[in-house]
Amino acid sequence: MKANRKLRFRSALSGYIILLPALIVMVAFNFYPIIWSFLVSFKTARAIDIKNSTLFQIPGVFVGLDNYIKVLQNDLFFKSIVNTGYFAIMFIPLTLLSSLLLAIYVNQKFKGVNFFRTIIFIPYIISVISSSLVFMTLFNTEAGFVNASLELVGIKGISWLGNEKLAMPVIALMSIWRRVGYFMLLYLAGLQNISKSMYEAADIDGANAFVKFKSITVPLLSKITVVIMVLLLRDALTIFQEVFVMTGGGPGNSTVTVPFLIYQEAFSYLRFGTAAAMSYILFVLAFIIIIVQNKIINRKGNTE
Amino acid sequence: MNTKGKMIFNYVVMIGLVTLFLIPLYWLVSGSFKSNFEFNLVPPTLFPKKLEFGNYKTAWTQLGFNQAFRNSVIVTISTTVLNMITGTLAGYILSKKKIPGGKLILAMMVSVLIVPPAVLLLPLYFIIVKMGMYDTLLAIILPFAANSFTIYFMKQYIDDIPDDLVEAARIDGLSEMGMLTKIIVPLTTPALVTVALINFVGNWNAFTMPLVLLRSNENFTLPLKQAMMANATDVNAWTLILAATVLSIIPVLIVFIGSQKYFVKGIMEGAVKG
Repeated sequence: MKANRKLRFRSALSGYIILLPALIVMVAFNFYPIIWSFLVSFKTARAIDIKNSTLFQIPGVFVGLDNYIKVLQNDLFFKSIVNTGYFAIMFIPLTLLSSLLLAIYVNQKFKGVNFFRTIIFIPYIISVISSSLVFMTLFNTEAGFVNASLELVGIKGISWLGNEKLAMPVIALMSIWRRVGYFMLLYLAGLQNISKSMYEAADIDGANAFVKFKSITVPLLSKITVVIMVLLLRDALTIFQEVFVMTGGGPGNSTVTVPFLIYQEAFSYLRFGTAAAMSYILFVLAFIIIIVQNKIINRKGNTE
Repeated sequence: MNTKGKMIFNYVVMIGLVTLFLIPLYWLVSGSFKSNFEFNLVPPTLFPKKLEFGNYKTAWTQLGFNQAFRNSVIVTISTTVLNMITGTLAGYILSKKKIPGGKLILAMMVSVLIVPPAVLLLPLYFIIVKMGMYDTLLAIILPFAANSFTIYFMKQYIDDIPDDLVEAARIDGLSEMGMLTKIIVPLTTPALVTVALINFVGNWNAFTMPLVLLRSNENFTLPLKQAMMANATDVNAWTLILAATVLSIIPVLIVFIGSQKYFVKGIMEGAVKG
């Protein structure tokens, strides 16, 4: 008995030692920061407080819910949520639909399909910064490709990134171009998991392509669709780099997204407390949306 | 639709979409070879009149993209290798060894995945400053030496190795080190390649954390350098920025084309398992 316990203890100890490198990094740079942010969101942490505290001191003076109240009274914060929503409403449905259609297309067998898949996927491995720079030159008002093409059919050049209504759609378009290949692969994995016999049975019943799509493909892809929706939502809520490079939040704050505002609040205005509060509101918002999304899709799955 | 009609339809769709998807890349490459004067011409030219190879040389040496390139190589290789090590070690323990609290640790690591990166931005800055690593390459290596995605991915893959095999090796007196090098690593090589690729691309393209954790020009990684160049008001540098952008894309493109099979398989397997 005793020897057994000793042996188990030694085994657990060696287990912890092997786990240690990953654990240290996760605790120091993930777990601790998440708690830190939470605590700071209830404090006023000025630059001087940050400077004077040590690594394990949470800087600032406790002020209760003040930061949250301030954030909720901040018009720009609401605008950033609306802007993020505007982006999401274009980005999520369009990416979802086009990645599904592309997946169905590349799920066929014909010559060149692998080449095609590669081309569609390539933008995903290009950095957001590089893609943003490329789209800035494409949508350049004077010498850009898009306006030059429009000019050919007699449409006068548009100041895409200088227009409050159009800047965000350009960012959304770039995001779709960059990401659709990735989601195409996820859907393709889902499609390849559907057994051929389902379609053969439907063929025998005389179902046409649309009926097959509606009553076999879509329901059987609902699980992967939930995964994709969550990933798309995460993408939509983390739009920052493209705004930083392409518009700097302008024109007229029309492209200020929540992460961009958090960055500005923290690193331009050095208001760490309210920035932390914003990041936690974003966190809660994301969490609620994911849960609601899951609920809706699960319910649909059950009734059908 | 008959078979022939369907085939024609397929190829028309393919040509159309390939063109559409390649336009941005074509515009990038052709712009990088234009002279400054030609780049600002209205209407723009579709093909550069004269290939301006000098853009590449100027961007590389005079604008200091060689330094940024070097920094990116150091950071990317270090973080990728470190993640492969920490991910395999942690994945092995969380999958095959019963340690008290193991399940809780795994649950905590996985739940980090749903936290928006914006939550980590400030505290990471704070921690790095307090640790005295601010504005060093270490600041963007150490915090990213392990990540929950890699750990979880490796754990899932190691789960597929039969417990009996591990148990038998243990009874044969194989040490933990031997277990890792002789059993776990050889059996998880495809997963390791996938993880390496995903980490490589992710770190090569990382921007937000370097932006917050680095300040000096000589420490900038490629994306940071590109963004800072573009934000500097000098409009005459655009052809150079595009040349630098082409240079920054080439390494990931080579890595991707060389290992496409693993990359695509990894993503698709992750989708079905996830």
